Amino acid sequence: MINLAKRDIEHTLGKFIVTAMGVGMLLGIVLIMIGVYRGMMVDAEILLDDISADLWIVQEDTLGPFAESSRVYEDMKNIIYVIEGIDKSEAMTFQNIQLPSHDKPVRVVAVGYDIYGSINPINPKRLIAGRELKNDHYEIVVTDKTGFKLDEKIKLGRNLYTVVGITHSTVSNGGDPLVYISLKDAQDLQFSYSNKEIQNNEARGVKNSEAFMVNTIVARVKSGYDVDEVAQDIRKWQHKSVYTKEQQKEILTKNLIEKSAKQIGLFTAILVVVSTIIIALIIYTMTLEKMKEISIMKLMGLPNSLIISMIVKETLLLGVFAFIFGNIFSHLIYDRFPKRIVLEIPDAWTLFGVVIIASILASFVGVKKVISADPAAAIGG
Amino acid sequence: MNREIAIKVQNLVKNFGKDENLVKVIENASFEIKKGELVALIAPSGAGKTTLLMMIGCVQEPTSGEIWLGEEKVYDNKWTAKDTRKIRREKIGFIFQAHYLIPFLNIIENVTLLPQTNGVSEKAAKQKAMELLEYLEIADKAYSMSSQLSGGQNQRVAIARALANNPEIILADEPTAALDAQRSISVIKMLKKIAIEQNVAIITVTHDERILPYFDRIMKIENRGIVFHELGEDKIL
Repeated sequence: MINLAKRDIEHTLGKFIVTAMGVGMLLGIVLIMIGVYRGMMVDAEILLDDISADLWIVQEDTLGPFAESSRVYEDMKNIIYVIEGIDKSEAMTFQNIQLPSHDKPVRVVAVGYDIYGSINPINPKRLIAGRELKNDHYEIVVTDKTGFKLDEKIKLGRNLYTVVGITHSTVSNGGDPLVYISLKDAQDLQFSYSNKEIQNNEARGVKNSEAFMVNTIVARVKSGYDVDEVAQDIRKWQHKSVYTKEQQKEILTKNLIEKSAKQIGLFTAILVVVSTIIIALIIYTMTLEKMKEISIMKLMGLPNSLIISMIVKETLLLGVFAFIFGNIFSHLIYDRFPKRIVLEIPDAWTLFGVVIIASILASFVGVKKVISADPAAAIGG
Repeated sequence: MNREIAIKVQNLVKNFGKDENLVKVIENASFEIKKGELVALIAPSGAGKTTLLMMIGCVQEPTSGEIWLGEEKVYDNKWTAKDTRKIRREKIGFIFQAHYLIPFLNIIENVTLLPQTNGVSEKAAKQKAMELLEYLEIADKAYSMSSQLSGGQNQRVAIARALANNPEIILADEPTAALDAQRSISVIKMLKKIAIEQNVAIITVTHDERILPYFDRIMKIENRGIVFHELGEDKIL
């Protein structure tokens, strides 16, 4: 039996391909949107995974440095260290800063850590040039996305910092590039006041004791100890909020990214609906263009099923080709976006399923038109 | 020669609307057309030519009456079969004002589409199509697209398509309307030849008086009824 859909597409191949490319671009954007969400999930976990702490000890009744402001004394790390079950503990700071750059300022998250400490937030695998921090002051490790080069000087606060190392793929949970500085420099940046302000505060009787604050204490638990039990001990005796790595991930992904995920999900859903409507309109137009032929086929006695099958096959082929073009399009442009886009094969297959369902739904408008076509319209010009 | 009856119509009535909007188009029309006959259907515009053609073609339902196609009674105050499309597919061939070939199919596919739908194998359908195209002297264009053929060539392909399902009846709606005088006469002569050689009844709606002498009979709708004008053999050629 003649494959009417194949013949019709071959007859208007150029038009069909251009149409599929147009719809494909929309589907490509759907894939990019899903990729943005996946990228956010990956970004959210990079720092947590690199630090690889079992426990995050933060200011009581706060959710920790990524969700809320948290301040604890730096020496808390020593108190934590002596708690039974604790293997390592270190103090860390996290702060948003703006680096002056050649073109425009770069928004980054600075991680402050004790360069002599036992927990290093820099994953050696991500270090692509230079070295880690070796000196207590005025050294900085930046991620490649900031655009800084090795040995470049960056003015931060009142001091000039030298770029000693460059990392790749290190971003905060918000997608901002990460930079690493020593804990002392970070405390200076975050908690130290200018000399004039210190003088004013002392005159007012206010002590400037914040220079020894940090945002969190991170700790690793010895093997054989239950992380939750150790966390419970700290909560009980130290009046601090304590989160395990999993809880911290949940705070980041569920609480912080949830809204963004919903927003992206809504955009994606709207795009899918728009794509379906566009496919339906294209099929409707394609069917309208063939109404005379459809009337003739009906008049000649061709069964509806044969004509409907042509319309449905054409719609499905349009969906499949659009999906292929969408994939090509998304893979061509995904690395041009400023934030991480993660394109995953399972997402593509899910979209393929959605496209097939959408195509079948879209074909209904063409099918309805076929059913209503009057065979008598073929007679009488 | 006692030829079989291809079309028999008795007391056929077709009205549109009802009550004060009632329009009577055909009233108690009765006639017979035999296989091998080429009949012209003429009437002024709006007199019901196309309506009559559509009723015989099982496209439009009459108001009342009876219609036989061959030995099968297809209408007896209602359609006797659920699927009138099957009747069209198996018994009737259609030729239109323009060729109306399916533009995305090539010539041989246009001709084989209906037989294949009727369950004829692709090979057998193609063989039959080639025979018809050769018969209509257009076999060399079998694998061309209709856009590559002239109007006259396309109309011959349309005739081949109408013959492809071995119909008992061919209904032609002004098949020469788009052709010049010479080609019109050529097409009618071809239909005449087909009617005799393929033993089919052909009803042709026409307004073209120049081709009337080539028909066996002229069927005219007058006062909502059917009147026949017979033409002698000497007038035809």
